[in-house]
Amino acid sequence: MVPQRLGASSAGHGRDTPVPVPQDEERRMAAVRRYDILDTPPDGAFDRVAALAARLLKVPVASVTIVDEDRIWFKAAHGLDGVSEIERDPGLCASAICQDGALVIPDTLLDPVACGNPLVTGAMGVRFYAAAPITTSDGYRLGTVNVLDTRPRLVTEDDTDTLADLAAIVMDELELRLSALGAVGAEQRRRQAEAERAETERKAREQAERDTAAITEFAATLQQTLLPPVLPAVPGMELACHYHPASVQQVGGDFYDVFPLGGDTWGFFLGDVCGKGATAAALTSLTRYTLRAAAHQHPDDPVAVLEVLNSALLLDPAVGTRFCTTLYGTLTPAGDGVAVRLGGGGHPPALHLAPDPTGTGGVRVRPVELPGAMLVGALPDARFAATTVHLAPGEALLLYTDGLTEARDTDGELLDTAGIAAMLAARTGPTTATAVVADTVAFLTGLPHGIDDDVALLALGVPTATGTGVATAAASAGSADRR
Amino acid sequence: MTRPFQLDLRHIGNGCAVLAVTGDLDPATAPHLREQGQALLADGPVQLLLDMSRVDFCDSSGLSTVLGLWQQARAGGGSLGLVAVPDRLARLLRITATDTLITVHPAEDLDRLTTSATEPA
Repeated sequence: MVPQRLGASSAGHGRDTPVPVPQDEERRMAAVRRYDILDTPPDGAFDRVAALAARLLKVPVASVTIVDEDRIWFKAAHGLDGVSEIERDPGLCASAICQDGALVIPDTLLDPVACGNPLVTGAMGVRFYAAAPITTSDGYRLGTVNVLDTRPRLVTEDDTDTLADLAAIVMDELELRLSALGAVGAEQRRRQAEAERAETERKAREQAERDTAAITEFAATLQQTLLPPVLPAVPGMELACHYHPASVQQVGGDFYDVFPLGGDTWGFFLGDVCGKGATAAALTSLTRYTLRAAAHQHPDDPVAVLEVLNSALLLDPAVGTRFCTTLYGTLTPAGDGVAVRLGGGGHPPALHLAPDPTGTGGVRVRPVELPGAMLVGALPDARFAATTVHLAPGEALLLYTDGLTEARDTDGELLDTAGIAAMLAARTGPTTATAVVADTVAFLTGLPHGIDDDVALLALGVPTATGTGVATAAASAGSADRR
Repeated sequence: MTRPFQLDLRHIGNGCAVLAVTGDLDPATAPHLREQGQALLADGPVQLLLDMSRVDFCDSSGLSTVLGLWQQARAGGGSLGLVAVPDRLARLLRITATDTLITVHPAEDLDRLTTSATEPA
């Protein structure tokens, strides 16, 4: 037999005895909170401890309790259905946590303090109570593993040792749980940090995308200033154009325009400045405005217009060693067609498309050569050339930049002007400006190697009297078709 | 497929240099030609011959470089000529009328050109 009241349930505890409070209650409560166990759902490990306590000590009721500030909360209860917590009344658990070692009350009615406990006086009629405190490694008693019976009992030292062992198991369980919580918490914090980092990265990426979009927008805007948004309506003609930038982020060096020169004459040009980017854009801008200004000075002389441009490019120090190639011309009604006065400076030849005169439905494609027409802006004494092309109804003139002729066919060979001419001759659609541009774009889109360079297309057509698109201007395939 | 870009100095001496160009002349490679050509021309009046027989592609940046070297050679009292120009480059030179400025020699003239340069003017 062991002393039936192990440790000291200090004298003076009576019915009106205030709740015994451990000396270091504040720090004890901090420890209770540290283990974060209060009001957690039932847990098999603690239930087993309670069941084991009841079985080993052969009592009907056993529980694992945590003593909170103002209540005793049951983490596990065996033989106590529906009880989750009770008041922190003196005598039983509340007293057990005030001492080291087990508290054993063989007969509650004989204990001056426990006899006033509601569990003793109430319906449950507890007569026997034994508890071992659940003690942390740093000495704080969080609660108890306890056994109850409705009749007085005596316990052996083995019994109290068993309770102490079970309390130690509970403590181990709480430590494990805490470290698991810590690990989970660390994992949660890691995930949160990761989420925050991902969010930061996402924002940075979005910013980069916005920057890219801004640059693209800027390039597109700049490009739009270099190209007319929509071709004007030229009476008696049908026009079509297409612009394919090699890069949406870099302003290309291709340009074209169609503009009135007074009376029934219109000016047009298409060209390509050497290089890309900001410098090329500046050169393109200078070229466009010079051509338009010079066109008004020399409305009937394309060679003179190109000479003005040549001088302007050579005079501008920003141009450096860059040059451009261009076709410049005028459109004037002539009979039922249009007379095209075409001048050139180092540019690939325009293609004159006319229905085959043999009436087989085919198309005759003729490059409009301008022999001896030099690059514009490369040399002070450059020479240029001009010729006249008559566009009859049903005929068209296609101007293009070298992005078209430098595209590669299925075998990886450069298409060259001959390849483009062959493609146009083989097509069966009408020889309208719109159809010619649309078919050329479709052909380019279908090329296996894609297009590395900017491509600008400008088609000038004279509709047949019964043909489509009479006296209309069509910026077909999009004058600002940006991919 | 085009060949990797390469510059080979085939001959130098007696006021004549022959530089053989292989591969594509484009914005990426043209600066190398400009640099080496300028270095060769910097030593005084030089007859610079560019062997273009192995040029697979030449765009406006290549053309710009050749024209720039041609101007530099003339300004320094020398000259620049092209040797063995492939068909496609010949078309580019014709379209841009560059062939009216820069002399284009057939491949078989190379020996004669390098030896004649050794003769006193």
